[in-house]
Amino acid sequence: MKQLTEITTPFGEVAAAKPLPGTELGWLQQLRDQAKAQFERHGLPAKKVEDWKYTSLWQLSQEGFSHDANEVSLGKTELAHVAALEDAYRFVIIDGRLNAVLSEIDNLEAGLSIKPLAEALDQAENMLGDQIDLEKPGLNAINTMLMHDGLALHVEAGQKISKPIELLVISTAENPKLASHLRNLIQVDADAEVTLLEHYVSLAETAGFTDVVTEVKLAENARLNHFKLQHESLAHYHIATLASKQAAGSIWNTNNISLGGKLARNDIHSQLLGEEAHVTLDGLYLVTGDQHVDNHTRIDHAAPNTTSDEVYKGVLDGNSHAVFNGKVNVHKDAQKTDSSQSNKNLLLSRSCEIDTKPELEIYADDVKCAHGSTVGQIDEQHLFFLRARGLDETAARSLLTYAFAVDVLQRIKSAPMRQALSNVIEKRLPKGA
Amino acid sequence: MLEIKNLHASVGGKEILRGINMSVNPGEVHAIMGPNGAGKSTLSNVLAGREGYEVTQGEVIYKGENLLELEPEERAQRGVFLAFQYPVEIPGVSNIYLLKAALNAVRKYQGLEEVDAIDFLNLVRDRMKLVKMDEQFLHRNVNEGFSGGEKKRNEILQMAVLEPALAILDETDSGLDIDALRVVAEGVNALRAEDRSIVMITHYQRLLDHIVPDFVHVLSEGRIVKSGDKELAKELEKSGYSWVHDAPEGQTA
Repeated sequence: MKQLTEITTPFGEVAAAKPLPGTELGWLQQLRDQAKAQFERHGLPAKKVEDWKYTSLWQLSQEGFSHDANEVSLGKTELAHVAALEDAYRFVIIDGRLNAVLSEIDNLEAGLSIKPLAEALDQAENMLGDQIDLEKPGLNAINTMLMHDGLALHVEAGQKISKPIELLVISTAENPKLASHLRNLIQVDADAEVTLLEHYVSLAETAGFTDVVTEVKLAENARLNHFKLQHESLAHYHIATLASKQAAGSIWNTNNISLGGKLARNDIHSQLLGEEAHVTLDGLYLVTGDQHVDNHTRIDHAAPNTTSDEVYKGVLDGNSHAVFNGKVNVHKDAQKTDSSQSNKNLLLSRSCEIDTKPELEIYADDVKCAHGSTVGQIDEQHLFFLRARGLDETAARSLLTYAFAVDVLQRIKSAPMRQALSNVIEKRLPKGA
Repeated sequence: MLEIKNLHASVGGKEILRGINMSVNPGEVHAIMGPNGAGKSTLSNVLAGREGYEVTQGEVIYKGENLLELEPEERAQRGVFLAFQYPVEIPGVSNIYLLKAALNAVRKYQGLEEVDAIDFLNLVRDRMKLVKMDEQFLHRNVNEGFSGGEKKRNEILQMAVLEPALAILDETDSGLDIDALRVVAEGVNALRAEDRSIVMITHYQRLLDHIVPDFVHVLSEGRIVKSGDKELAKELEKSGYSWVHDAPEGQTA
């Protein structure tokens, strides 16, 4: 593994110019070797693998991405323009590399630690890799082999962090066809609370590839409000895993907004390991043109009295293709589980495609599980009503589309966060169909 | 204001309107009454421009323009307002947003700038008093979870904010109890004006006790078979609609 040029990925050779972090750590080296062996055995998931039935990585493997980036920086004003939140601790990654100048790492409030991945590795033996399954078909093995940067966030017990953290992952035109492999480690100790926004954005319509794994560990009664906004370029590939382990009484509120990318895939996994742990998995995808978005979510109710609440909504236009797969697994001892899931889709064109599949596996007998998915079009009665009030057809369709999507936003409690995300979404609304 | 000449219209190939003639001048209030199936709703939908209605003959002239050639939104922007018989619920769109978007659409057509936020709020608050609506309704989604009476009041609120030149009230009294009917009627009466015409479409006479029309027309089998003043409505109340089938077109009371 020390000879990095030895690694040939399906996305191109990894340059030796920048060594991977943590090569001196034995456990990490072992983990990387394990990942490498796993990848060599299985490679990229083929379409015959059920979880990848509708999403092909073949095109991604043909792009020939580079792993060698020129250093790029942004001015403070430019950064402020790109950032979604005005008042936040920013952690900035530009073209796959941490930008320490633009990031707020030092002099943070009590109980909060924000570090680059490389500096957190020596403390991460029990954390890194613990939330994810290396053998799961996907890119977890590749990410483990190649992870080079990322955010390590730690909140100490009992601390309620006053400002959200915005992780800004920016792709610029300076490094086209760049592959980034990012690993974020989010650890919230007992009774602590923090809000995180993962924000992925392109500054130009260039092709790129973001491979990111975010691991979340929530101790007893910890609370993480976890937002993700992905609006990378329409030539970009975005493959992400977001996985948590939750102790008793912890709350993981997620909201995953997917607007960009030629191909975007999210694998989101919540493991409710302690009683009364709760997860909210909300999401919104707005796709058009030839975009492909795939959200696979899985919730494991592994302890009694755990609750989950999931609302995913999608708006599809053009020739886009969206996939939703929501798995809820209630383990044998997880009595009194209360789980609700819904996936609703609005189709604005005749040539878009949605594949939606809720999956329930229940091994306990005293549980409440509800799920449902719908696929529909703009209601002609609604359209006529708005037109009869003077709105032209384009404006009426746009308003009804927004109205369809808006309850995912209305479920966000923090007003500044809701506003920030609405602003971005409104810009991406289809202007008529 | 509005001139309907020999209007024929079909739905799904079936002729519903079979030669309507009617003239409405500025400031007048007309009531169109008739039994179920007479074509009342078809007439209001044709005037508002709903899809699925085919006009096979005749014309409708509104302020000198051929109304039937205009899109629904163009009609609305020119001051034609339809108060719906069954107002739809629109989840995700707040009442205040709808009112503002609708008002700005009319203003844009009139070459005016978008309404100032404070002026708008003052206007809406003022008009809400007309229909005795609480301000909380502004921030609720359009008609979502509203009672039947609240939905109808909401329609009149939209009319009050948009100040149309021609308002068509389609069965505005249906589903209202007497108190709600009174509130709605008071709202409409407050909006009567010299430059505003109102066409009320109704099955029952009772609405006309509260909004007294200048003219009453009886619609039967797609034609106006009788026209008269408010006394005609009372006659209908007494004798029902059974006689209208035999009446020759255009007979006056």
